[in-house]
Amino acid sequence: MGGFAIALQPLNVALAFGGVLVGTFVGMLPGIGPINAIAILIPVTFAAGVPAESALILLVGIYYGSQYGNSISTILLNVPGTASAVVTALDGYALTTAGRGGPALAMSAIASFVGGTVSIFALVLFAPLLAGWAIRFGPAEYFALMIFAFSALSSFSGGSLVRGVASTAFGLWLATIGLDPNSAIPRYTFGRLELLDGMDFVVVTIGLFAVSEVLKLLEDTESGQVVAGSYGRVMISAKELGRTAWTMARGSVLGFLVGVLPGAGGTIASFLAYSTEQRIAGADGRFGQGDMRGVAAPEAANNAAANGAMIPLLTLGVPGSGTTAVLLGALLGLGVTPGPMLIQDEPDLFWGLAASMYVGNVFLLLLNLPLVGVFVRALTLPRWLLTPGVAALAFVAVYAVNGSAFDLALMTLFGVVGYLMRKLDFPLAPVVLGLVLGPLMEKNLRRAMALSGGEWTVLFDSPIALTLWALALASLVAPSLMGRLPRRRIQPESA
Amino acid sequence: MPGALLAIAGAAIAVEARTFDVAFVSDPVGPKALPLLVAVLLVGAGVHTAFRPPVWVRWPSPPLLGKIAAATAAFALYALALGFVGFFLSTTLVVATLSHLYGAPPRHGIPTAAFLAGALWLLFVRILSLPLPIGDLWIR
Repeated sequence: MGGFAIALQPLNVALAFGGVLVGTFVGMLPGIGPINAIAILIPVTFAAGVPAESALILLVGIYYGSQYGNSISTILLNVPGTASAVVTALDGYALTTAGRGGPALAMSAIASFVGGTVSIFALVLFAPLLAGWAIRFGPAEYFALMIFAFSALSSFSGGSLVRGVASTAFGLWLATIGLDPNSAIPRYTFGRLELLDGMDFVVVTIGLFAVSEVLKLLEDTESGQVVAGSYGRVMISAKELGRTAWTMARGSVLGFLVGVLPGAGGTIASFLAYSTEQRIAGADGRFGQGDMRGVAAPEAANNAAANGAMIPLLTLGVPGSGTTAVLLGALLGLGVTPGPMLIQDEPDLFWGLAASMYVGNVFLLLLNLPLVGVFVRALTLPRWLLTPGVAALAFVAVYAVNGSAFDLALMTLFGVVGYLMRKLDFPLAPVVLGLVLGPLMEKNLRRAMALSGGEWTVLFDSPIALTLWALALASLVAPSLMGRLPRRRIQPESA
Repeated sequence: MPGALLAIAGAAIAVEARTFDVAFVSDPVGPKALPLLVAVLLVGAGVHTAFRPPVWVRWPSPPLLGKIAAATAAFALYALALGFVGFFLSTTLVVATLSHLYGAPPRHGIPTAAFLAGALWLLFVRILSLPLPIGDLWIR
């Protein structure tokens, strides 16, 4: 309850509200997903000069809002900005073409709210348990845990495992750039003083994701401006709500469980929730042709997974996705080191965050439903206005990190690399995870080795470490056993 | 082609890593271990990719590739010019160029870009007090 005392401070309420609003707007723009929304707004958050927990509340508001914003463009325009929204597009857009886009948006908001609420309670319940267990983690266990996070994300981020591994390795290489913290020798700095401090994850993330997207969107400039049709009232009947209650409940629980595991949580969660509901409905369902349950299931699951993913981030300090990796980078930048001690050492931060997640969730439901009309009108602004506008904001964000124009040049370079990676079907999220986790992984490896006097077997010594290695191995072979997962193909297209 | 490039990059990382010598052994792992692991992964992934049928990539048409190259060049020039020309002018120019590539009519694109640059200046410099370059050109 102490958390609410923090979350309900006027500044924090305003930040949660502002974060949700800005996040919705940025997350809704075609091709800009949550990861870009957070990366672009991190320098702004740092510059705002608020305490760490308030900055975190703002960032989590953005995280939430951008998920919902993403649903707006997915349902109304069939432009999913992330892989996890692809499933929502199936029935969401079918409902829009049938003139029921408004009810679909209301369904999405309510399902997200249910998913969010269930998973926040689960988070509050399980995070302290996991933290209590993780206190026993030594450097060897952390090393194995990070290997598990890397292998799961490489394996589940769509496309081939080999490409995922290559992306992870690229991110790990970027992490080695700069002065080695132990020996202080420069690595891969190419003689540039600017690189001695290492690669900043904001510069890399904005380059790889946002700039490459700006370049890629140029490919369909010929298709012109987006036109949103009529979508009806943003309301849903009690009868329909009753029909989808169990769908939302199942989606929430499933989403949370999948979200806690590292890998592409939201994507797999929404896909599993959708296919589960399809199976339960049987002949009764009209999935793919505009079934409300086809919106409720993935939206509840996706939001629950987004919160579930906060558990490993906060209690272990090890994110399992690109977006939570960016959040980890932001936390470290704010001087907060997440891990098993976080709940004990910084109870205000942890409980304040949990409470404000709930507050943000309520804002999302109460304020965005009436505002959908405004958002849709913003979406129909010509692309020549929206995309360069986002690009300019990204430039300022990158410049603001170090006040250096060199970072803008790096950002451009990463934009080209990201464009080529998208074209050649290499996933981008593992690069960010590798970059943010690389230094921690190296530190733990070195610490484990120093403690054991150079004995490699220490990495496999404890039951916890062995379990984590087994999980890592399982995550590498799981996709081929589970059959084909939905391919992560996000084709922004204009209607 | 991408496979060969990955393998070459991995090899180059390994070659460079061999020079990371420390005078005394501060820890048994040293600064070489992670780069060498990266090199092994990249070479492995590269060789595997090289011996697989290439992915089919739909490259954009030459005019669109030209647009993408022009945008990239505009971003790079922006990085070079920002300190000298200043935030307002260089941002106006890069946003106007990008708007033009996205199909904006020039009489809309340039004023909109200038307005946006001004608004960002106000937001960051005045409200968030984050310094943005004025431009050496105007100071002298």
